[in-house]
Parts: sequence; C-alpha cells; structure tokens
Amino acid sequence: MGAETQESASAADGRSVRARATGLTDQPLTAFAVAVFWAWLVVRWTNDFLLGGSLAPRGTSFFPTAPIEFAATTLSGVAADLGVFGLPFQWLAGLVGFVAASIPYLPELATGVWATVLLTVAGIAFGFVIAVPLSIARVYGGSVTRSLALGYTELFRGTPLLAQLFVLYFATPLSIYIRELPAVGTGFVPAQAFWVAVVAFTLNSAAYQSEYIRSALNSVPEGQLTAARSIGLSKVEGIRYVVLPQGLRYAIPGWSNELVYLIKYSSLASFITVRELFEQADAIASETYRYTELFVLAGLLYLALVVSASLLMDAVERYVAIPGLGASGR
Amino acid sequence: MSDPLLRLDDVYKSYGDERVLSGVSFEMDTGDVDVVIGPSGSGKSTMLRCVNRLTEIDSGAIYLDGECVTDADTDVNELRKQVGMVFQDFNLFAHLTALGNVTLGLRKVRGMEKSAAREKGYEHLEQVGLLDQADSYPAELSGGQKQRVGIAQALAMDPELLLFDEPTSALDPELVGEVVDVMRDLAAEGITMLVVSHEMGFARSAASDIVFLDGGEIVEHGPPEQLFENPRADRTREFLGRLRTEHEEG
Amino acid sequence: MHAFPLQSDWAFVLGSLDLLFEGLVVTVALTAASIALGFLLGFPAGAVEVYGRGPLARVVETAGVVLRGTPLLVIIIILFFVVSVSSSAFVTAAVALGLRSGAYQSQIFRGALQSVDEGQLEAARSIGMGRLQAIRHVVVPQALRRSVPGFQNEFTIVLKDTSIAIVIGLGELLTVGQNLYQGGQSTAALEIFLTVSLIYFVLTFTTNRTLDYVDDYFTIPGGEQA
Repeated sequence: MGAETQESASAADGRSVRARATGLTDQPLTAFAVAVFWAWLVVRWTNDFLLGGSLAPRGTSFFPTAPIEFAATTLSGVAADLGVFGLPFQWLAGLVGFVAASIPYLPELATGVWATVLLTVAGIAFGFVIAVPLSIARVYGGSVTRSLALGYTELFRGTPLLAQLFVLYFATPLSIYIRELPAVGTGFVPAQAFWVAVVAFTLNSAAYQSEYIRSALNSVPEGQLTAARSIGLSKVEGIRYVVLPQGLRYAIPGWSNELVYLIKYSSLASFITVRELFEQADAIASETYRYTELFVLAGLLYLALVVSASLLMDAVERYVAIPGLGASGR
Repeated sequence: MSDPLLRLDDVYKSYGDERVLSGVSFEMDTGDVDVVIGPSGSGKSTMLRCVNRLTEIDSGAIYLDGECVTDADTDVNELRKQVGMVFQDFNLFAHLTALGNVTLGLRKVRGMEKSAAREKGYEHLEQVGLLDQADSYPAELSGGQKQRVGIAQALAMDPELLLFDEPTSALDPELVGEVVDVMRDLAAEGITMLVVSHEMGFARSAASDIVFLDGGEIVEHGPPEQLFENPRADRTREFLGRLRTEHEEG
Repeated sequence: MHAFPLQSDWAFVLGSLDLLFEGLVVTVALTAASIALGFLLGFPAGAVEVYGRGPLARVVETAGVVLRGTPLLVIIIILFFVVSVSSSAFVTAAVALGLRSGAYQSQIFRGALQSVDEGQLEAARSIGMGRLQAIRHVVVPQALRRSVPGFQNEFTIVLKDTSIAIVIGLGELLTVGQNLYQGGQSTAALEIFLTVSLIYFVLTFTTNRTLDYVDDYFTIPGGEQA
C-alpha cells in the first residue's frame, strides 16, 4: 500500500502545526498586476481631475479598442478553421472580445473607484478615531461608560449596514443639514449623499474596529500595565505608552479584515445615490445593456482593491513587527 | 536461532543538510527491553519514529519479524497495528474520555464490537492503574495519569513492540514515578520495549540492553551493568560522566 | 398594497406588522438556506485547503479569494443578470449568499482543522488508522467544536447581509420597510426603519445567545476547549 509521506515536517523534535500560506497573495504576478492597476488609476485620476482631460478626453479610454477587437476576430477565425480543435481558441477569442468590449467603460468606472476609495478611507480613518476611545472605555471604563460603549457596539454590529444607511438618509434630517453646508456638491467636494454615507460607514466601522481593538487590548498581559504603574506611570500613561503599542499590533489582522469589509460594503452607498463603483457600473449597464462586461469588470476592480489592501496590510504588519510580539513574531 | 523481532540495517536519515542518522544498525529480540540514551539532538527520537514510519528513512532498511517494513508497498497502517508508540507529549485524543481513548483503535482499526472493546479497554486501564478514571477527559487528568492512559492506549492494540519516545520528559518530577512503575511492570510481564529516555534508574534496573547513540551513530551498546560500569568508548564515558555530575549537583 | 388614510406614524407601523412579519419570515428562511449551503460548500473546501494537494487545492483557494474579495452586491447582480441562476429572487439570493458564506466558512474550518495539534493526528496514525480515518475520527470532531465561535459570527453576518437582496426585489425585511416608506407613508421613515432595525437586532441577539448555548453544550469538560 502506498507509502505515506512524513507526517510532520520539521527536524528532531518532529512536531509542528502545519501552516499553509494561501498562495494567491504571495505570488509576484499578483504584486505586478496590482501595481499596474494603481498606475492606471493614478494616471486616469490625474488626467480627469487635475489636468482637465489633457492626456485623453474624459470618458475616452487610454487603451485602443480596435487592435484588441481585431485580435478577437482573428482568433475566432482561427478557431473556426480548426474545427473541434479550435475550442481553446474560441474560448480565448471570447476572453479577448470581452476585454475589447469592456475597455470603453474603464474611464467612467475609474471615477467610481475614486469615490469608493474616498468612502473607504474616510470611513475607516474616522471610524478609527472613534474606535480607540470606545475600546478603551470598554476595557478600562467604569460600569456606566462600559455599558454605554457596549450598547453602541451591540447596536451597530447587530443591525445591517444597509438599514443604518437608510435610517441616516431617509429617516433623519442629516442629508438636509449637510446640503446646507458650504462647498458641498461643488468642485471636488462630493454631494451630500456621499457625506451621509461617510457618517454611516464611520459609525458602523467604529463599532467593529472597537471590537478588534478591544480583544487585542485584552490579549496584552495584565502584567504589562502593572509593571508600567509600578514605575510611576499613571493609568492613562500606562495605557498609552505600554498597552496600546502592543495591543494595536495584535489588532492588525482584525483591522485588515475590517478594511476589506469596508471596500466591499462601500457598494451599499449606491442605494442612497452615491456614484461609487457599483452605482457607476449599474448606471452604465442600464443604458447599454452590457450587464456582463460591466459587472464582471466591477467585480475585478473590487478584487484588485481588496488584494491591494491585503498586500498593504501585510507590509504594515511586517514593518511594525517586533520579535516575539503578535502573530508574525510568535 | 530465530530472527530478531526488530532489525535496523544501515539506516540513514537527513533533514536537509543535517545528517541525523548515520548508518544505524541495530537488533532486538522478543522480550527485550532496550533503552536508547544519548545527548539531545543525537537522533534518538528520529530512530524511534523511523521504526513505525512516522518519519521516513533516506536509505537502509528496517525489518519487523523478518519482513521489511520500509518497502514502498508495505501497508503502513498494518505496521502500526503491530508497533505501538507512547509519546512525550501524550497526544491523547482531547475529545474522548480515557476509555474512549483506549477503545478508539479497537473499534475503528481492529473492528471490534463496542462492548468487547469496552471490556478490553477496562482491562488495560486497570493494567496501568486508572480504572477509576475511565470516564474522565484528558484535560481533567494529571500529566502522569495522561501518560498512563497513553500507555494503555498503545497496549490495547496488542502490539509486538512498544516504542517509548521520552515518556517522562514532559512530566513534573513527582509524577515521573507512577509512569516508570508502570513501565517496570510491563518489562517484567515480558512486553518488548524500545525506550528513549533519560530515566537512568529504569535503564539500570529493567533494561536488557542499553544503546548509546551520539551524532546519529550507535557508539556502543551492552547490558546495563557493563555499559554503566565499564563503558568501552571514550564518548560513552564522557556522556555518562556528565550525567553523573549533573545528578550529583542537581 | 394597503391604502392608508393619514394616521400617526407609529400607528402606521403597527398596522403594517403583518407585512413586516412576512418580510421577517423571508429573511429567516433566506438566512437558514444560505448558511446551510455555505456549510455544504465550506466544510469540504476548508478540508481540501488543509489536506488537499495540487490543482484541486489551488482551485479552491482561488475561488475562495474571489468570492471573499467581491462585494455581495456584485455577486447577486452577476448571478441574477449575467449568469441567471434562477428566475426566483429567493433562489438567486440564497445561492449568492451561500457561495459567499461557503468561502468564509471554509476559512473558519481551515483554521479550526489546523489548530488541532499535529500530535493528535500522529497518535491516531500510530495505532494503525489510515489518514482519512484519523482525520475523520480524531481531528474533525475537535475542529467542529472549535469552529463554533467563528460560525456564530458568520451566522449574524449572513443574517444582516440578507438585506442586500433588496437589490433584486426579494421581499425580505428591509425591502418591506423600503416599500412601506416609499409606497405608504413617507413621513413614517424614522419609525419604519427603527422598527426594522429593532427586529434585526432582536434576531441577531437571539441567534447569538442560542449559539452560545450550543457552544457550552458541546464543550469538553475540564475547562479546555477540545
């Protein structure tokens, strides 16, 4: 009967929990694709917003469609000639044809990506600002503070983000207040619906981030704070200089999780008329009926954003790693 | 003159660049109690794990009862029914009671019927003195108790050969005795045992042969009286000398 | 669609409780279906990622990355308009949520399977168990117990994500709320959406407590999680 390969992989002590790295994000091809993705985005955004369309008119893609369409039809021809053996060529022709058909929509989708990136960055940054005090309140606060913080967190984590968006947009005068603010909706400043979405994402993300940070703070051994206090630091200083630096590193995996979630759930802002990536794809699709191209393209763009975020967080984790501390140092 | 029960023939094993076993040749007969000693990293555990093929050898051969077990077409599972192992870290099945741990192999590997397996399970738990803990879970047992369940688990399969991989190294000192007592009893009952251990007391009193392994080679072997009092090789003398000083200082 | 004379906003909501209840039923049914599908897909996928070799494992990993990296909204739309899985909004939504949940559940099970100490597998193999047998009788029972917290989390996520099915017009809870607001009494926006949120909150709360109970029931005595 077949010989089994070694049950355990390491040397003399022969005991190690086998950890398999997920292959996709580690490959150099991925990093390259992501780099190309961002290069294209930056050039497109610069062209549209800063240079007023001097490199290429707004709405016109950088990439020529004609040669790719030509390639598609050629491949189709080859496939037809080869008969049954032409199947892989037919498939390739379909793929190339898809690329050709999608290219014209790239510029408008890039505008959508800009809104998505803004929503995500704003949501997570403002959310973080609220999350840190919130999590400190839950770990170190008195019973009243703790209950209030807990109530907030449970409320925002226990109801759908979409429902929260609806409440803020339809059920509160928030959008009216924002509309009154100067500069909203003019020039670079997005319209009021965008800001309502930012508020919703901030409040929601704060709740989730505070959970990750809270459990990370709890992973810091109690002895650390005791040691800090016994050299004379106050409780607040102890938290700030000893507990938080360690705790925040433990929080990185959860935090990168939240970043990915926000990138994906920013698509919900389309329900309150924000022209982010999904809404752009949907709007164009309803006009051109090119549902397949647009939504697959949108999906690929989201995927690119998510993979970028993972790579970024991996780099951050490596950068702040301290030997023996946190997941990477263990 | 019958075949030895276990024979290792010029076994080599490396991990990457590191040579862990260098031409190890070794024999033991049924009823023998052999204890392998040596400095850490000398390959003792690896040698043991090669016998039941938890680790695969690079070259050479291992024979159990005259049959080559390191062949490509040997049924590894069959081999492991005949060779039992007791681990340093116990490795008890955390989700099963002591009785469950002992009977799992009986039911799933030997295909015994549930009640017959329970009977046998109780027998072996009694053999190691843990009959009253049959329904306890591993997390509820002390280290010494866990290891005794591990021994019962291995015994229940009625193996021809029982391997012990540093069975007491992970135990607190006061718990070592109960495990060593069980091992002594087994030796007296005639169970064939190949033991890697630092427990010199056991080696001295119960072993039929002591094997000194250093740097992946068997430096020398012999009955305890001979090896401990009159070691032939210098390295053996050195190693034993170190042990003695540690023992006196410690 | 009811025709409403002008009444106080709360009275409107109370009068619409039957509609909200229907939406609630759809939400619960969709959650159950999606979680079940997610388990059927996710558990084998997780096992393949841990124990599989070669192309199969890679395909599963890539599928997982794609499903976890694409917004649910996009998945639903693609399954409805591009791939046209079914003309039924419920079925399409269940497949979309099920695929997404399967991708996440595979990670839960993968983590749980990997967290069972390698020594357990070795011990099982050294009494003569085959690899598959050992995994089935020793690793899986422990891994399943360890998956409960992650599973609990996933359950509430799916429950909340059912609200996204609003995009294909499925009559789940939030859709009902939206219809009441737009088709009924638009001044009652606050009352409607607060009620809807409250119902979701009660649902997630109950689910969490129930799963806590399940977790306790299966914990191995001795104070340790298996």
